[in-house]
Amino acid sequence: MGTNREPLELLPGTLDLLILKALTRGKMHGYSIVQMLKTSSDEVVQVGESSLYPALQRLLLNGWVKAEWGASENNRRARYYTLTPAGRKQLASERDDFNRMIAAIQKVLQSA
Amino acid sequence: MGKLWRRLLYWFHSRQLDADLAEEMEFHRNLAARENGIDDAASRRAMGNLTLARESARGVWIWPWLESFWQDLAYGFRAMRRQPGFTAVALLALSSAIGINSSLFTVFNAVALRPWPVKDPAGVVNIDHVLLDGPRRGSIAGFSLASSRYLGEHSKTLNGVVMMRNGEKVDLAGRKIEATYVSGSYFRVLGVGMERGRGFLAEEDQPGNPEAVAVISYPLWQNQFGADPGMVGRRIRLDDIPVIVVGVASRDFTGTSPLRSDVWLPFAAKLLLRPNDRSVMNFLTSPDYCCSSMAGRLAPGVMREQAAAEVRVLMDQFRPPLEAGANWTIVLSGTAWVDAPSSEKTGPAVAIASLFFLAVTLVLLLACANVGNLLLARAAARRQEIAVRLSLGGSRARLIRQLLVESMALALSAAAIGFLAAWFLPGFIASRLVNDQSFRLVPDARVLAYTFALAIVACLAFGLAPALHGTRGNIAGALKNEMRLTGVRLSLRGFLMATQVAISVVLLAGAGLLVRGLERARAQDPGFDIQKVSVLSLDLPASAYSGARTKAFAAQLLAELGQLRGLPPTALSMDAPLSQGITSTSAWQVGDSAKKGRVVVFHEVSGNYFDVLGIPLAAGRTFAPSDAGKQVMMINETLARQYWPGQSAIGKMLFAGGNPGEIIGVAKDVYTTSLGSIAPTVYWPMDRRMPLILVRDRTAATIERITALVKRIEPKAQVRPEPLAANLQRQLQPSMYAAALAGVLGILALLLASIGMSGVFAYVVRQRTREIGVRMALGAQPSQIVRLILASSGRALTAGLAVGLAGALGLSRLMVHQLNGVSPLDPLAFAGVFVLLIVAAAAASAFPARRAARVDPVTALRWE
Repeated sequence: MGTNREPLELLPGTLDLLILKALTRGKMHGYSIVQMLKTSSDEVVQVGESSLYPALQRLLLNGWVKAEWGASENNRRARYYTLTPAGRKQLASERDDFNRMIAAIQKVLQSA
Repeated sequence: MGKLWRRLLYWFHSRQLDADLAEEMEFHRNLAARENGIDDAASRRAMGNLTLARESARGVWIWPWLESFWQDLAYGFRAMRRQPGFTAVALLALSSAIGINSSLFTVFNAVALRPWPVKDPAGVVNIDHVLLDGPRRGSIAGFSLASSRYLGEHSKTLNGVVMMRNGEKVDLAGRKIEATYVSGSYFRVLGVGMERGRGFLAEEDQPGNPEAVAVISYPLWQNQFGADPGMVGRRIRLDDIPVIVVGVASRDFTGTSPLRSDVWLPFAAKLLLRPNDRSVMNFLTSPDYCCSSMAGRLAPGVMREQAAAEVRVLMDQFRPPLEAGANWTIVLSGTAWVDAPSSEKTGPAVAIASLFFLAVTLVLLLACANVGNLLLARAAARRQEIAVRLSLGGSRARLIRQLLVESMALALSAAAIGFLAAWFLPGFIASRLVNDQSFRLVPDARVLAYTFALAIVACLAFGLAPALHGTRGNIAGALKNEMRLTGVRLSLRGFLMATQVAISVVLLAGAGLLVRGLERARAQDPGFDIQKVSVLSLDLPASAYSGARTKAFAAQLLAELGQLRGLPPTALSMDAPLSQGITSTSAWQVGDSAKKGRVVVFHEVSGNYFDVLGIPLAAGRTFAPSDAGKQVMMINETLARQYWPGQSAIGKMLFAGGNPGEIIGVAKDVYTTSLGSIAPTVYWPMDRRMPLILVRDRTAATIERITALVKRIEPKAQVRPEPLAANLQRQLQPSMYAAALAGVLGILALLLASIGMSGVFAYVVRQRTREIGVRMALGAQPSQIVRLILASSGRALTAGLAVGLAGALGLSRLMVHQLNGVSPLDPLAFAGVFVLLIVAAAAASAFPARRAARVDPVTALRWE
């Protein structure tokens, strides 16, 4: 557990990708997305409200996710997000781009 | 596309969606707090600034460029402030053009477009009874009150029928006010808002049981009764008859006719206001008395055609058509004036309105060309700024957008000023200069939208070309401060100048022609003496005078006038020549059927009418006292020619005004009804109509003697003397207003074009300073320099003049009806325009030329 290490800044543009990926598991509300990103990244990815909600609005605007109100685990009203078909397509293409970019960066870093 | 749609959805549901977002984030914060076991306040801190986060989440939805649009707009306003000279000229040009446009539209809107100021005006329709053949083909006949009652009871497509009849004047404390008689259903069916009290009840309009009640207008309440809070229930005297005020109409309610109405009375109340007039009962109950206007409210879901068909059927049921085969139809139309079906009534007015809209649009175009030229000059000055931004990677589209938004700042400011002008100008002109307050000339949302649209159009018209032009091209040259004229710019500049010249030629020529037409009308000989005659109108207490009493009064008046010694020729007549109202009737030869009747103008006059006015007789004689009790009439030459071409009409019989009569005299044709044309006319001896007095003298002494005589016969009479020439003045008034408006437009156009030309010349001088310096050094005279400058724009000037002349010729053909016989090619008007423009061009070049002539050759050569 890297408790002593500072949480990392996300690479620009990657938050949208991570949210889309998280939502492939099914519908989630904002807080569970944060939790999910946190656990699956070994607490490296810590997303604050001030970046999560603009990102969700952006995804809504682009039509990649849908939002609807539902009951949470403890029976409170929560807003759940689901992936749309367009979102799935977007995830695939962004993932490709990201992998190519990472591979390229690795190549550059190893070349020295 | 989906994105745009989702954005729009957001705009519509933004409140809901913002609430969703807030709730969602609150939920998130609560979960986080529970998880971490921190108290509320600390969690708030830990989560950072919640509001800021919400704002930035919301910001995703807002158009990114909306913000930069505001920035550009703000920059535009700042730029306007930085260049007060440019701004002042541009604003002056644009706001005067937009102001005139909006003002005209305000008037048009108030007169023609605005539906009746009633509840749900879309459901209210005019019901017109239109004749399809006969002498009055196409004209509208009204309905009898009896038929409207039948219709109101039986119609299923109409949720109520109202009747109205306006144009009756009643006396209120010595002042004549405009009364409108309406059916008892009027206020209820139309849903008229009331400031105080209530509208009429159905039982207040019973011919068997008339009630003396009235609703007064808001302005009357304000001005005549000092906004008396106890107005409802107050007793006022109309024509000396006490009437109870039951309501004050709301401020917005200006009546249901284009004319002003000060007071509304139930139709049945006419029995009380005209107690001696036995025709009133017939008017109220007989199906034969037609001609009040009808309107109705459509039942929900009913189409106009359905309702019209039903009304037609019901009207046939109510009363089989008067004459078998009479061809008429029922037309339902909206309540705005432009919706009225009678082309006879609205046609010429619409034609004139369109002409003026054309004219003000041209003025706007001119102003746009003018400002476009100014912007072009400014863009030249800003070439360096623009070139720097382009070379630093600014996109051309972004720059064009910024320049356009700057133009928009200018256009919006001008529109604001123009809208203010539209707010004050028409009302001011109507009340102070024209003295006509029939209309409520206050701009509404429609005028605002119109003005805004004008601003956008203007902005594109003057801003687009310079913006495209200024951002094009040669960065390197601009950075080096190279100020060479390129061919393209010259032609755009020239084009804008030519446009201005052409438009001002068109407008000036139009104004010139109208003025010439007016002059012609003024100088026209109406065929009778108009200068020497006075008209004395009589106001007799209307409630006491009916047909028989009026006849006795007229006879006594005529007899006593005849006995006054030394009085200049004096006559009685039911109306004065060239007055506004014309009475017409149908005339046919005895033995013919009434269906062959022609519309003729109808006058009742005493025998010396023709002496007083100096109308010569063509044949026969005038009325003499010995004609009393005989059926005799006179006609004019036009009518004689129509019925008996080539023969004498004397002794022939004619049916006119409901009675047959023998023709004893034929009067020469004179322009008694209008200056434009001579109508076939019949003259009957004075009978039952209210007389006025015509006297061939304008001295106060004579007028006083006659007034005293009238007062001796009827002490309650009021006498209003007026020179007959005042009627001519009133006849000419519309032409005068048209000429004045056209003149203002023409002068404005000339002024704007001069400013525009002056700007172009100044630019030319700046561009050619070096050349001018050389020429001066070589001994050129200042006059040669002026010619040089004029010649530099010679092609634009000539092209503008040529196009303008062609346009003016086209326009003048459309104006033929307004010219009173002046040729549309009137050389004086066209030559005047030509001279005016040459002078203006020379004047516009004077200032820049003076500057050019003062150029010091040495400085000029060193320049750049």
